[in-house]
Amino acid sequence: MPEPNGATDLAVGPNGQARPVGLVVGTVAASPLEFSVGVAADQYLQLDDVVVTKRKLPDGSEVQIAGVVTQIEAGHEGARFASDVFLIEQGALPAEVSEVAEVTVTRVEPEVYVPPRPGSPVMRAEGDARDSALYFDTMADAKVPIGIGRDGQPVYLNFEFVDGTRGGHVSISGVSGIATKTSFATFMLHSIFNSGVLHGEAHNTKALIFSVKGEDLLFLDYENSRLTDAMRAKYGVLGLPSSSFRNVQVFAPPRPGDPSGTPDVRARDRAVSPFYWTLAEFCEQELMPFVFADGEDERAQYTMLIGQVAARLKRDYTKVGADGAISISGVEAVNGGPIRTFEQLVGLIEDELLDEELRRDWVAGSTSTGSVNAFLRRLRSAVKPLERLIRSDLKDRGDRSLTTSKAQVTVIDLHNLPDRAQRFVVGVSLRQEFRRKEEQGTARPLMFIVLDELNKYAPRDGDSPIKQILLDVAERGRSLGVILIGAQQTASEVERRIVANCSIRVAGRLDPAEASRPEYGYLPPAQRQRATIAKPGTMFVSQPDIPVPLAIEFPFPAWATRPAEKGAWTGVDDGPAPPADPFAGLDDDPPPF
Amino acid sequence: MTGLLAPTYTVDPWDPGYGVARGDELDGRESTARLDVGLEVPAERWQPITPAPGPLPGSVLFLDGVQRIDARIWHHGDGPEPVPGIAASVAAGLVRCDGAAQIVDWKVDRGFFAEQGEDIKTRHATYAFHRTLGGLDKLTFGVTHRMSELEVELAARWREQSGAEDDLLVVDGPLRGRTHLARTVGYVKTHQKSYLQREQAVVIGALGPGQRSPVFGMGTSWERRSWYLRLPGATRAPWAAVVRLECSADLAVEEAVALADVTALVLPALASVPHKDPRAPQNLVPIGGLERQLKHRLGDAGLLYRSLRGAFAA
Repeated sequence: MPEPNGATDLAVGPNGQARPVGLVVGTVAASPLEFSVGVAADQYLQLDDVVVTKRKLPDGSEVQIAGVVTQIEAGHEGARFASDVFLIEQGALPAEVSEVAEVTVTRVEPEVYVPPRPGSPVMRAEGDARDSALYFDTMADAKVPIGIGRDGQPVYLNFEFVDGTRGGHVSISGVSGIATKTSFATFMLHSIFNSGVLHGEAHNTKALIFSVKGEDLLFLDYENSRLTDAMRAKYGVLGLPSSSFRNVQVFAPPRPGDPSGTPDVRARDRAVSPFYWTLAEFCEQELMPFVFADGEDERAQYTMLIGQVAARLKRDYTKVGADGAISISGVEAVNGGPIRTFEQLVGLIEDELLDEELRRDWVAGSTSTGSVNAFLRRLRSAVKPLERLIRSDLKDRGDRSLTTSKAQVTVIDLHNLPDRAQRFVVGVSLRQEFRRKEEQGTARPLMFIVLDELNKYAPRDGDSPIKQILLDVAERGRSLGVILIGAQQTASEVERRIVANCSIRVAGRLDPAEASRPEYGYLPPAQRQRATIAKPGTMFVSQPDIPVPLAIEFPFPAWATRPAEKGAWTGVDDGPAPPADPFAGLDDDPPPF
Repeated sequence: MTGLLAPTYTVDPWDPGYGVARGDELDGRESTARLDVGLEVPAERWQPITPAPGPLPGSVLFLDGVQRIDARIWHHGDGPEPVPGIAASVAAGLVRCDGAAQIVDWKVDRGFFAEQGEDIKTRHATYAFHRTLGGLDKLTFGVTHRMSELEVELAARWREQSGAEDDLLVVDGPLRGRTHLARTVGYVKTHQKSYLQREQAVVIGALGPGQRSPVFGMGTSWERRSWYLRLPGATRAPWAAVVRLECSADLAVEEAVALADVTALVLPALASVPHKDPRAPQNLVPIGGLERQLKHRLGDAGLLYRSLRGAFAA
């Protein structure tokens, strides 16, 4: 007796294979890249499920066609009017519910691009079939777990597209607060460090994290007290330890007005160092351009002056004392004396440049007074934000330079700093690390740079010294072993060349208007729509290996992300121990002002 | 009544392609049927009956069939003239309404109807030979007959399987040839002849929605009991929304009356609406839905036509 209903239950395969989840439908044309599955009455398919079907060729060989469900539609067959649904539910009109899942093909093995035949059974891909469908079997030992798929199985990233072998850099987009971009970035680091993909380099591989917003990145080496056993189990599924980072060093700017230069961090007291630049370093390393790192600076007429002034400072400064104070030679005597603060330095430059005679020693003779005034105005406005960071009025205790050599993960806390100062720090430290890697000459061990708000530092329009460095990192970094993990609310506002150089693209919750921009062309329409309602912890990961972005959920961080979650500290602190008497040493070396 | 002074018009509610639900010779003169109008109430006390609430069937089954001529075939035999034949597809289905409407059984059959010949095997289907006498016109009766056979087959099979004792089977069309099925009524949508005399016919015109006429006995070539029922959704057209139901004459009068009440309680809720069905409201919603699905399951007409031509070309 034929089954009276449209969809039928499918029997177990002849050799005891799994029951088909449905059949390839013929009402929607099947192509080698996309086909539709009529879901059997007692089965279901959800978005992101991985399915596989087979096609026999005349020579007896079999082509395996695997794909990911990218859309599912259910409807009433037998109903012609919307109101028929009431008749059907009242039991008057006979109709069948049909479910059709659209499958985007991910892999055809062997590569004979034929469509599946309508009526072919479609199986849920499990185990080896799933690994093959998602190319996990070709990743060999370059598999980095990045989360759990909708089917509860781990999803991997091909590390060769992260570490520079075949591609590099990661771009993470999403709405602030819900997209959990920085949590995902830190989870990726955790996975890279602990999954074994780095082999012997796991300990020497470094990460530099800029903490731009809030204090949530300052507790990477504290256990998360809210981590439950169920959450730990997810780490188990991924084969990762549910532990916090082991070796973290935090750098924070000195507290304003504190003569001992204590780092301005309230939430943690271990493995924290202050950071600032002495005036000697400012002159020696020509840091002046980073004072003018705003987009608006680039359009102004005075950009040439910046280089000229920086060059003069480098040429004529001399160090005074051990704390980085300087004196400049060849200037009015009243100004030449030891300079200990940024304000003093700016004052000197003002005095010199405003004098028509003296100006010629600093800048080209043709420079107009208007440009000089504009330059000085901008420089003067930088005094307030930068005087905490460029100074020689503190006793140098030897722990105040930004460095990534102290720990595996270096966090630079910028959240207390005004925008102008943030740009200065990001620009200077990026250049410093990039140069260090350039001089080192080898790509390995890798250096990961995590930077949020990429749209601020490398905007699509305009030019700035930071953008130049970021472009350098994006374009040359992968051969130097500098890998950028950039995060931004809107990828459409980030310099195109940077996004284009990212092999791995990740999207969390997206703003609906943003999701429709071409930058998210890698997401199929259904995923774009889904991205606008994605929950925290859900990410769409696109990698060059797999033609369809995969939706994943990454586990709740095993490290604290806020003071309330702080559990046991698991880090190391090899810096100078905090003195027993915090006031010791203040009397015998008083500040010189 | 303003009709004499200002004649008004009414558009017949049925799609013109389906004819009219009521013929124009309904004064009973033409009918040769033997009537027994006093079966439920005496003839002079005929009036509309509002059914008394009573137990309803656990499920209502609707049986219907569709047919389609796939091709006309000429058989070139020994005789001087080729013999006409018809290749047709027929389908029958059974819908059960018990809270949810579900097609519980269906069957498609294809046949070759001609005076002589054999089975036709095509690429997509086999047309079984059915010896059918008569000219071109008569051949279609053979198709209809085959469809009725299929319907009876389904109904019998269902009755055998289900074991339900309280269902009601509604057969689309007259009950002829199916009177042996228990708890079964025939459902007639069109009235080409009036079996009633003028006095009783007036009562039919006066039926309100959901009301029925008294049960009367009727005998043409076969005996049955019958009653009229008005569905909701009537227009001013004569006898609009009126259907006639019939049941086996073997039933006792009380049983027939009870059955009439049940139909008057159950069927009005299933009447269709004009924008969804060209034969509304008489073509009930489950039957309309079943017909659509059966027509679909007959298969693609163009494909079958091509395969028939292909079968003889080879």
